[in-house]
Amino acid sequence: MNFKKQFKEGLLTKNPVTVQLLGMCSTLAITTSLFNGIGMGLAVTIILICSNVLISALRKVIPSQIRIAAYITIIAGFVTVVDLALQAFIPALSESLGVFIPLIVVNCIVLGRAEAFASKNGVLASAVDGLTQGIGYTVALVITCVIRELLGSGTFGGGLLNGGEGIRIIPSPFPAMQMVMPVGGFLILGFVIAGSQWLMKHLEMKSKKKEAAK
Amino acid sequence: MKTESTVKYVLRLTVTLLLITAVVAVILAGVNSVTAPRIADLNARKTQEAVEAVLPGGGVEVAFTDSTGLVATVYQGEAGYAVKVNPSGFNGTVSMMVGVDNNGSVLGISIISQTETAGLGAVSAADTSAGEAFRGQFAGMSGSVSVSKDGGQVDAITGATITSRAVCTGVNAALACVANMG
Repeated sequence: MNFKKQFKEGLLTKNPVTVQLLGMCSTLAITTSLFNGIGMGLAVTIILICSNVLISALRKVIPSQIRIAAYITIIAGFVTVVDLALQAFIPALSESLGVFIPLIVVNCIVLGRAEAFASKNGVLASAVDGLTQGIGYTVALVITCVIRELLGSGTFGGGLLNGGEGIRIIPSPFPAMQMVMPVGGFLILGFVIAGSQWLMKHLEMKSKKKEAAK
Repeated sequence: MKTESTVKYVLRLTVTLLLITAVVAVILAGVNSVTAPRIADLNARKTQEAVEAVLPGGGVEVAFTDSTGLVATVYQGEAGYAVKVNPSGFNGTVSMMVGVDNNGSVLGISIISQTETAGLGAVSAADTSAGEAFRGQFAGMSGSVSVSKDGGQVDAITGATITSRAVCTGVNAALACVANMG
C-alpha cells in the first residue's frame, strides 16, 4: 500500500466531503464555529480509525450476508463509547455538538470506508485509510467552519479563542446572519467543493506541464 | 466451496452476529460504569450551580402544583424559589432555571441546556455579552412576560424569536407556579 497516495486521496482527490459527498448532514449542521469543526473532525477520525481496524481484522470472520449489520453494530459501539466519554470528560464539546455525535453512527463516511476499504484491505492499510479520510473530513469541515463563522458571526476561532467568543474580525452589526443558518451552509459548502475541484485541476495541469517539459 | 445445510447456514450467521453484539454490549457496559457516575455528578453540579445562579443562597427541593406541564422541579430558599422549567424551543427542549423572589418577580434566569441553532437561538444560553444582556432583562419582571413583537417588554434575540418566546413561556410557567404556592 502506498501511504503517500492514500494521504493525497483522503485530503484531496477522494476527500470524503468534497469528492465523495458523504457525511453531508453533519458537515452542513455543525460548521458554525472552529471549535465544532475540530471537535467533530477529531471524533469522526477516532471512530473511523477504530472501526476500520476492527472491521479489517474481522473481515474474514464476518459472513458477507450479514456484514452491514455487523459493521453498524461495531460502529455504533465505538460511537457510543466516544459519546459517553465526551459527556463525562469534555461536556462543553458534547453540549455544542449535541445530537450530531450519536448521529455519527449513520454518517456514511464510516460505513462507506468499512464497506469500500476496510473489508478488502489489511489492518495497517485500513488504519491509515481511517486516518487519512478522517483528516480529509476534518480539513473540509474546518475550512467550511472558518468561512462560515467569519461571514456569519464575524469572528475567528469561536468556542476556542478569546474565552469562547472568538476573535472579532468584522464589527458586530455587519456579519450576514444567514451564513450560520442552513442556507449559508449549502452556499459555502458549494464554494468549498468548487475550490477543491479547481485545486485538483490546477495540480493536474501542473504535473502534466512538468511531464511535457521532460 | 462445500455446501452447508440450511440449518448450519442460518446458525452460522445468527451466532456470528450474536457474538459481535454481545462483545459490543459488554464493552459498552464497562464504559458506562466508568462514565455514568461522572455524567450524573456533572449534571447534578450543573443543576446546583443553576439554582445558586438565580437564587442567592441556593435552596432545597419542594413539592409544587403546576397547570402548564412545563415545570420540572421547584427549589425553595430564603430569598424565594428557583423553578426548573422545560419549554419547547426551535429545535427541542430549552431546559432553564428561573429564580423568583417571595413577591413574585423574577430574580434571574439561567439556561441549563438547549439545542437551539448555533449563533442564533444558542445565544440565549451563551456566556457572551449578548447572551447576558438577553437573560439579564428578565430580572425584576413579574406577572406575564412576552417578547416585544408580541406586545411585551422583552427584546428578542435577533433571528431567534422562537427561542426568545420559549424562554418567555418558561418564565411565565415559573411565575404562575410560584403564584400558586402562595
